[in-house]
Amino acid sequence: MNNNATRRAVALAAAAVLATGVAACGGSADDGKIRITVGTFSDFGYEDLFAEYEKTHPNIKLEARKLEFDAHHSQLATQLAGGRGAADVVAIEEGWLAQFRTSKDKFVNLADLGAKDLKDQWVSWKWNQGILEDGNFVLGLGTDMGSLALCYRKDLFAAAGLPTERGEVAKLWPTWEEYAKVADRFKEKTPNVKFAGSAENIYTAKLYQSEEGYFAKSDDSFIADTNPKVKEAFLLAGGMGAKGQTAGIKPFTPEWTIALKQGTFATETCAAWALAQIKAGAGEGAADKWDVTSVPGGSGNWGGSFLTVPKQGKNTKEAYEVAKYLTAPAQQKKIFAKTGNLPSEPAVYKDPEVLNKVDAYYNDAPVGQIFAAAADSLKPNYRGTRDSKVRPRFNEALARIEQGKSNPDTAYGEAVTQSRNEVK
Amino acid sequence: MAAPVTDSPLRTPQQPPSRKRRWPLARLDTKVTPYLFVAPFFLIFGAFGLFPLLYTAWVSLHDWQLVDGQQGFVGLANYYALFGDPNFYNALGNTVSMFLLSTIPQLLAALGLAALLDRGLRGRTFWRAGLLLPNVVSVVAVALVFTQIFGRDFGIVNYLLELVGLDRVNWQADTWSSHLAVSAMVMWRWTGYNALLYLAAMQSVPKDLYEAATVDGASRWRMFWSITVPSIRPTILFTIVVSTIGGMQLFVEPTLFDPKGASGVGGSDRQFQTLTMYLYEKGFRLFDAGYASAIAWVLFLVVLIFALINFTLARRIASKG
Repeated sequence: MNNNATRRAVALAAAAVLATGVAACGGSADDGKIRITVGTFSDFGYEDLFAEYEKTHPNIKLEARKLEFDAHHSQLATQLAGGRGAADVVAIEEGWLAQFRTSKDKFVNLADLGAKDLKDQWVSWKWNQGILEDGNFVLGLGTDMGSLALCYRKDLFAAAGLPTERGEVAKLWPTWEEYAKVADRFKEKTPNVKFAGSAENIYTAKLYQSEEGYFAKSDDSFIADTNPKVKEAFLLAGGMGAKGQTAGIKPFTPEWTIALKQGTFATETCAAWALAQIKAGAGEGAADKWDVTSVPGGSGNWGGSFLTVPKQGKNTKEAYEVAKYLTAPAQQKKIFAKTGNLPSEPAVYKDPEVLNKVDAYYNDAPVGQIFAAAADSLKPNYRGTRDSKVRPRFNEALARIEQGKSNPDTAYGEAVTQSRNEVK
Repeated sequence: MAAPVTDSPLRTPQQPPSRKRRWPLARLDTKVTPYLFVAPFFLIFGAFGLFPLLYTAWVSLHDWQLVDGQQGFVGLANYYALFGDPNFYNALGNTVSMFLLSTIPQLLAALGLAALLDRGLRGRTFWRAGLLLPNVVSVVAVALVFTQIFGRDFGIVNYLLELVGLDRVNWQADTWSSHLAVSAMVMWRWTGYNALLYLAAMQSVPKDLYEAATVDGASRWRMFWSITVPSIRPTILFTIVVSTIGGMQLFVEPTLFDPKGASGVGGSDRQFQTLTMYLYEKGFRLFDAGYASAIAWVLFLVVLIFALINFTLARRIASKG
């Protein structure tokens, strides 16, 4: 799911809860039913499914627990450490999953409960991200994936004399280099509007199109300093930031929402889950202004989550059944219809109903086709177990460029040095 | 039932009463009851104060991952690493800077406000209650509102700056501007609170001192510095110590001010990362509980040292006045 949907207030409240160690425990409800809590962040679209599940499973009572992205994950860490308080079913996002993989003994091995039989539901790379020990340990069941597209403002493109029809717009930028050139053209015509929301998003999207980022796929060793893909993506995004083509606004923050409402920038990389966020931010007032097209450089994967079952839960078997239900193709299809979160299961994203989905908000963009096409050509990006130590250093360096405090070359050097220190 | 504290006047000194025999329970009562009365505090402090403190010290001597727990004893390695860590000194500098920037003007303003309120003002209760209002509002709400006010693109402060012909400031981007903005939040929250403490103290200053000074022809300013301030010295010392403890542990305001969300990094260049934020980043973002515990202990010592320094300094200054 989304990388950083902010409710900073909630984050802090969560930090407070986490600090005091207050958390409800699972167990049986008063009415004799087994209570299963499901911990998520952002919008997983589970509410209706819960009601359905309770209808077919009268002995189960499902309870949603929702927190902001960062708070959800760091709270899970403290709950695992403390040995109590975690929800029975917990969603973990791809980027954080790497960190939790190293603590697999805190989680139930879903293979013991029969998860291996489900393997063929998912595209193979998604399944592989959730397993350890060659598949003998199943840590989590995949939910959605962050197949990438690019959202753009039609009206702002028209004002800059650029094509506005999504097919033609896609032709403008087969690669990110072309995308940067379009930014130059755009700036000439409309100097008061920024071309993109943030250098960070461009960088992340481009980096996620390569197989390896900061760590080697083969042995998890640190390669951020030598991987040309990192440097390439950084210099491209940083270069756009240095030229003032980005608005320098951290995505999914309150500032980002205001900027969307004010039309401060014209393009934004959007994974499937981001459509709902842009829509919520820009509001109905911008209903016919936004459109979706393909992302430069083919596809990439940005986020996507897994449902895990922490060992400390009292009813892990029932919890697994719930996770299995929520990730089954039938349910994933319903979620896509509701939230637009793209399932990582070919049976779903190749389903005609999904393929034919258009989004009225985005000028009837065929989002089903756009994201499914992207999903097919997608190469999974290897994250590495220490990703969370390194990734922020590069994002901070990009922010320094956008703030005019550094230039791309210096900032890249600093990010590399800092991340080398973090992992040594 | 209390034991007789003084002997009855009827008793003769030659016959000391053998209380031991007569009041065994009462004697136990006088000895034990006071401890029972204060025990709840010490029990709770032991469980929620002392134990975590010692446990943190224990954790700080280990390679300790947040989720997986102990990975082996490393002695003082975390402390060695910490004292060679430029990010630690950066955080320490930021903390001290924001502490000074917020506390000094805050306490001076609180003194002034209290002095004004100490006079016969119309609608006194209204003004006094108003003073406490910022403190009652949730700190999260305060921080969110101030972050909007100091917003780069759509903030009121930048709007006003432009109105008078000045340049916009990217408040989060630079060290000085971010420190100013964070200090503004802290001041807004705590000035009124301190003013009320001062006011309460001022109310108990004997009025005849002022009357005598008026007869001598002293100005209001002179009276303020020569009578009011020395008279409320203990309260000033108290607020300084409390502000020091609070200021050195600054966390919520700068964390929420960070456009990146609750990552604890404090800006693109750690320009407003405080010690507590660094602790949070290490412990809850990077899961390095051992290192975070070492920070916690050093922070504890830093707070102690600063509180002592401030206490000594303030006592000197106040006694000179």
